[in-house]
Amino acid sequence: MTTFENAASETRVSWWQQTFALLAKDLKAELRTKVAISAVGVFTFASLLLLGLATAVLKEVPTIKLLGLSYPATLDQLLGKQQPAWDSPSKLGMLWVLFCFAAFAGLAHSFVHEEETNTVTALRLSMSAGAVYTGKLLFNLIVLLVIMLVVTPVYIAMTGMKIGSPFVFLAVMLSGGVCLAATATIIAALAAKAQGTGALYGALGLPLLLVFLLLLMNAAGTVYVENAPTLRIVKDVGGLFSFGVLIISMSAMLFHFVWEE
Amino acid sequence: MGLLMGLMIYGAFFYAGGALGFNASGDIARIVFFHVPCAILSSVCYAVGAWFAVVYLFKKYPRRKALEIDAKSGIAMELGFLFCTLGTITGSIFAGMQWNSYWNWDPREISIVIMLLLYASYLVLRAALAGKPEQRAKLAAVYALVALVPAQYLIWAITRIVPSTMHPKNPLFEKESLSLSYKIVLYSSFLAFTLLYMWLSQLRFRAYKVRTRLEGKRG
Repeated sequence: MTTFENAASETRVSWWQQTFALLAKDLKAELRTKVAISAVGVFTFASLLLLGLATAVLKEVPTIKLLGLSYPATLDQLLGKQQPAWDSPSKLGMLWVLFCFAAFAGLAHSFVHEEETNTVTALRLSMSAGAVYTGKLLFNLIVLLVIMLVVTPVYIAMTGMKIGSPFVFLAVMLSGGVCLAATATIIAALAAKAQGTGALYGALGLPLLLVFLLLLMNAAGTVYVENAPTLRIVKDVGGLFSFGVLIISMSAMLFHFVWEE
Repeated sequence: MGLLMGLMIYGAFFYAGGALGFNASGDIARIVFFHVPCAILSSVCYAVGAWFAVVYLFKKYPRRKALEIDAKSGIAMELGFLFCTLGTITGSIFAGMQWNSYWNWDPREISIVIMLLLYASYLVLRAALAGKPEQRAKLAAVYALVALVPAQYLIWAITRIVPSTMHPKNPLFEKESLSLSYKIVLYSSFLAFTLLYMWLSQLRFRAYKVRTRLEGKRG
């Protein structure tokens, strides 16, 4: 048991109580200042608008169904003059690219704030490293889920993205949220400790997120497959979710090396 | 090592025969002697770097010894970056000759280039903490181990989860599919590149020791 865990155990506060105390403190501070929500929110909506403008020409081509097969509904498309369609899996992938950049724009704040306001030492003395990691992870996950809850319907309305299979869609969104929050949290801790700029945070985190996006794009394809086999759903969504679980496990195991002096 | 490397290069171009199922009369398959050892070594280097990261974090050593272990981890990652770059370039040349496009967004191509970025990020972190050796050692070790998760996905899982790859299946270890000349050169190339890695590693570590000795005398 480390010095800090000793200090925490002496006060007889359980690990869960420490975690929820930190989460409540961060949420209260967030409700007061709204720094993370507004940073991530403004970034996401500005990017959304930019994306909408950039892809205005990529409309999905309407099709008609005849004898069980889909045919282009416009003469232009039949003659090969139609613009390429921007399909729903690509739209879902693009939404997650937005979330990744937005998360990296706003979620670094959770640890940097503690360093800037010199509250790190107080936290180290009063809480175990595990409780701090869990509290920060939960906070980032909550912020991300709130942003996702607001942005996704707007994105659907703007781009006409289809939901496909609702259950698989929800599983992909939640798994993606867990992966993104997990990655952003441990990288934020490393970058804050290295007293790095935003550039360092991006440089450390984005290569990890590329693997996550690769898995997510693969799972996004499954969302839009009609009556997809259960094995494929489990493999694709499970592959994505397992990435988040492994990052959380590895981070939980190593966080005290970053946190403690 | 130099002699073996020289013989291997000679054998790759003048001794081993071309391979069936490839463009340019199978001559393009000669790049296998360079590409495959580099690609495999890039993964081996990560494993070595991660191993030293584990040793640094979980074993208690005196400061000098601990920093040497960190240096070994950093050197393995530097060489991993080198071999990964060589693997990416040789792979891209192969793709250009075989499929008429140097970049095809194939899962294998994407995975090696992301691997390259993971190495680069690790080296960026080390560079950012150049003046603080202990902190650099600790944070770099943690990053190496966290990035081990995506690295494992890239090496083992991606081609299973996203199976649509153009990358040739691996017939290199099937004895029936290779001629004797091809086998001799191929296995020599594995040995030559492994020796090259060990030699470079030694060289870098000796340079580290000389540098720290000089810094000790100055400071």
